[in-house]
Amino acid sequence: MTDLTKNILRFILFACTQALIFNRLEIGFGIHLMVHPLFIMLLPFEIGVFSLMTLAFILGAIIDIFSNTYGLYASSLLMMAFFRPIIFKFFSPREGYDPIKEPSLIDMGGRWFAFVYGYLLLIHHFWYFLIEIFRMDQMLFILQKTIFSFIFSYLLSVLLQVFLMKKSKAK
Amino acid sequence: MRNLIAFFKRFRVFLFFAFLQIIALSIYVRYLSFPKSQYLTTASSVTAKVLETENDITKHFNLSKNNLALQKENIRLRKKVKESLYRIERNLLIINDTTFKQQYTYIPATVINSTVTRRNNYFTLDVGWKQGIKRDMGVFSDKGVVGIVHNTSEHYCVVKSVLTKDINIDVMIEPIGLFGLLKWDGKNPRRGSITGISNDLRIKKWSKVVTRGGSGIFPRGLAVGRVESIKAIEGEPLWDVVVKFSENYRSLQHVYVVKNLMIEEQKDLEGQIPLDEQDENQ
Repeated sequence: MTDLTKNILRFILFACTQALIFNRLEIGFGIHLMVHPLFIMLLPFEIGVFSLMTLAFILGAIIDIFSNTYGLYASSLLMMAFFRPIIFKFFSPREGYDPIKEPSLIDMGGRWFAFVYGYLLLIHHFWYFLIEIFRMDQMLFILQKTIFSFIFSYLLSVLLQVFLMKKSKAK
Repeated sequence: MRNLIAFFKRFRVFLFFAFLQIIALSIYVRYLSFPKSQYLTTASSVTAKVLETENDITKHFNLSKNNLALQKENIRLRKKVKESLYRIERNLLIINDTTFKQQYTYIPATVINSTVTRRNNYFTLDVGWKQGIKRDMGVFSDKGVVGIVHNTSEHYCVVKSVLTKDINIDVMIEPIGLFGLLKWDGKNPRRGSITGISNDLRIKKWSKVVTRGGSGIFPRGLAVGRVESIKAIEGEPLWDVVVKFSENYRSLQHVYVVKNLMIEEQKDLEGQIPLDEQDENQ
């Protein structure tokens, strides 16, 4: 399976699971599970920044259409896509990234993934709830939703990778 | 000119980001209050088809509970059927044609998509303008008020539910008849609040809250919920009234859309008030 088909399959899979399953789950305590940022995270290292942002916009828009949120997911996913190259550069290993590898937990190791995905997901969640609620006097509520949702979305993303992904082999 | 090109080259990533971000946010802000087309919502035919298929699978999860609720409603209605009533006044002749005129009719519908955890929650129904659904029609279930139709397509419509930011349904508290606007603060899908209730009258706890029927969207007296607690707002002569909704929006499936046959007449009449007088009253 080439990189292209793999990512197209992932795109469909993430859009469907987020729009039809995770958006319907109500856990309470303001927790809102979001795994679709993982798709943006797992795109190859060498992807151009423009195609990255376009993909994020399209994926977000599709999820928006299914959940009547009119651009909320697109906006927050775009935010994450914008910060991805910046944070990747910041955490880059000394010899640069190996293009054979994927930016996943399995390939890059726990420490790197924990920080990079942690920052990106936090940006995504904060922006999402900030725009959704959009009231300064409810800042505490925004932070509560952000942090609770962040913890559970993060754990879910890690579990998905541990159970479903294999280590990329050298070509 | 060269500077301009250099500027665009240097900041092209950020400009592209800002461009897309502005598109997303402007759609979000505009569509939240005034939907212009159905294509970006679950009322569009492709997404509604997918959601309808999904609902076909998942609707059975609440089947027994919903059947029970429908059965209860049937019993209540059956009690009102002529056959089950005893006629006390035998000599009176009622001619329905002239004494009563039908004002409201109801269109049954099924909820095929709903959320309750967001700040603004919308429900998608499987009826559209083919069935006569228009914008600003009321939607209710056998237990209480559900929302107002926001946007329609041929076979589907999106309902702005009670659980949204500016729903503002006019409700009144029975039996004293105080009225205010129903609001939702975005936290608990079982509780809302009423604003604009002046604190010169006492309100009993657990008194019924029903629709006022002022704007012609809902008939008068549809259940909304019950008053759960009353607090004074500091510095204002108003009560902060918390309402516990009688409908559980998490498991909502069968609803009715209200069609007011006299809405045109009411709107016509109210439209004749001169604009400047309206402003003075507000």
